[in-house]
Amino acid sequence: MSEFKVHQRDGEGVSVIDLKGYLDAHTAPDLENAFQKLIDEKKFNIVVNCKDLSYISSAGLGVFMAYIEDVRKNQGDIKLTNMSAKVYNVFDLLGFPILYEIYKDEQEAVGKFAARK
Amino acid sequence: MPDKQQSLKNSSSYDILPLFEFSNVVNSSLDLKFILDTVLLTVMGKMLVSKGMVLLTREKHLFEIVNAKGVEAGVLGQAITLKQTLRKPTITDRLSVTNKPWVTFFKAHGQKLIVPILTQGRVVGLLTLGERLGGKKYAEAERQLIHSLVNLSGSAVEKALIIDQLKEVNRDLDRKLQELNTLFDLGKEFNVVLEPDKVIRLLTFSLLGQVGVNRYAICLGKGRNMQVVASRLEKDVCTPDLFETLQELTRAESVDELTRKKKFATVAATLKEGGIRVAVPMLVQREVKGMILLGGRMRGGLYERADLEFLSSLANLAIISIENARLFREALEKQRMEDELAIAREIQQGLLPRSLPVIQGFDVAATNIPSKQVGGDYYDVIAISPTEYVLAIGDVSGKGTGAALLMANVQASLRAFAPMGLSMSEATSRINDLTSQNTGQGKFITFFWSTLDLKSGSMRYVNAGHNPPYHFHADGTMEKLDVGGIILGLMSTLSPYEEASVPLRRGDVLVMYTDGVSEAMNSAGEDFTEERLEGILRNSLSLPAAGIIGNVRTALELYTRDTPQSDDITMLVVKVL
Repeated sequence: MSEFKVHQRDGEGVSVIDLKGYLDAHTAPDLENAFQKLIDEKKFNIVVNCKDLSYISSAGLGVFMAYIEDVRKNQGDIKLTNMSAKVYNVFDLLGFPILYEIYKDEQEAVGKFAARK
Repeated sequence: MPDKQQSLKNSSSYDILPLFEFSNVVNSSLDLKFILDTVLLTVMGKMLVSKGMVLLTREKHLFEIVNAKGVEAGVLGQAITLKQTLRKPTITDRLSVTNKPWVTFFKAHGQKLIVPILTQGRVVGLLTLGERLGGKKYAEAERQLIHSLVNLSGSAVEKALIIDQLKEVNRDLDRKLQELNTLFDLGKEFNVVLEPDKVIRLLTFSLLGQVGVNRYAICLGKGRNMQVVASRLEKDVCTPDLFETLQELTRAESVDELTRKKKFATVAATLKEGGIRVAVPMLVQREVKGMILLGGRMRGGLYERADLEFLSSLANLAIISIENARLFREALEKQRMEDELAIAREIQQGLLPRSLPVIQGFDVAATNIPSKQVGGDYYDVIAISPTEYVLAIGDVSGKGTGAALLMANVQASLRAFAPMGLSMSEATSRINDLTSQNTGQGKFITFFWSTLDLKSGSMRYVNAGHNPPYHFHADGTMEKLDVGGIILGLMSTLSPYEEASVPLRRGDVLVMYTDGVSEAMNSAGEDFTEERLEGILRNSLSLPAAGIIGNVRTALELYTRDTPQSDDITMLVVKVL
């Protein structure tokens, strides 16, 4: 079974989630737990860094869909960054660029949150 | 490239950009947008026009606006129908508006000239131009020039269109691949997940991700009994009535489609109210065992047949997994019950006497054949003094561990009270009080016990609701031992149990049994009956106690044949020597 890791880094007013490995039906619950934890901690400004994410399945994308509404309802957002072309292609195929802000670089996304304040 | 576009726009002279250079630029590109921009801006620049549009042929007679300059952006993406085939630049003012909405449309947006984009005689699109600066007319020569310029780009436009179509086909293939990956991903995971909750969560994620919805309901069950197990809806519209109608869905349908079907029209209206756009039945061998309801796609777009087919595959994959999980849980539960029964059997068998005491002057034999289900039969022979013996038989209601424990309770209290020198009536009352405190609702014990007194050669007994034992006298008469009171365990003793004394003579036979004997069933579902038992016993009285039991067992076996035994069979026989 391919590995998947979620790591949370808390910055000033923004939490960054680092994803690593395969995000599929098997590992989707790990990401679910990470988002749930952030919401429980009332951290709604979320940047997901996909630098080391090697694969994402629909179930993985579904986790983003499942939490985006709660996050935005609390004036937060989930922004995605540093995607590989392969991962971006899946996001693009399923029409996610319309629904989520996707940035090349983590700093850019963090900056967007800062600028809003 | 933007610089080049800029220069094209600014060029107002016929000579700045020779035709061949223009041709080179547009024909060396495969980027449709760039080509169309270049053509439109070049022509606009040359003619000094501030408004222009490009339309591409989408279907026969159907043109979509793909490029617009100086015209409100809202027109982009709009499609117009133009049944007439224009082969030459046409001035809109010379066209009649009657029955031609497209003429009205072009006029409304200030378009004065319509130029067909031709390649090999086919119209691949239209370029339209607004009024020229200063109101100059489009002279015949200019119209020709524009026509030539536009047609120079015709083959480039067509080529780029084909490339675009290929890209679109490629994307469709990618999407199909993605769908297959999703099914594969889930199939793999569903195989190892045996908790329905987890299956439903994974299904939800995959739906949200693949379809891009945020309104959904996943329902499991059949017909009116369907239950929503996961949902996020604007309004809870799921009612038993709704599910009853949806039960008749044989395939995934969009709510719009359902609206057109008389049978589903009302339901479709309800679903719409809840923000639901599509209903996908979860089928197991054509039977609806669940339903997925989905709202509109957040990225827009309608559900197409291919989407519905994908959703059906996903739904059926999930329901099979959920069914498997349910069957697995049932198998586990069955195993647990069997384990419990094994424990109960062990308790029950442990309570029965391993061997019977030898009683001077009496021949005693007993049998207990437990049924597969483990009933609650009990018998006992206890020596309370060298000249006094207790013989007991009982049947606890219910089966399994509960029945076995209740029986243990009765046995313990019997063994405690019997040697205390109380009257049998008093002892029975106490046993009853104790067990009724310890039993739950609806549990009871039919119980018969007797005390053999070797000194007096008589027997006293109390029958607490048990099948009356037979007392066959040596003289050929028979008496049923039915003196006593109500069954044990129902309520604490209100009126005392009666006890009776019977004299015993040489050759007398006492037969105690449980209803497992008299109610043993044959294949036709008919009881063995007390009459039949009595007859067998009468013909066996000359035999030793064990022989009498043997005869009854043989008769039972012949009677029931292969019919499974549903209750314990217990007999205790005492013969006076």
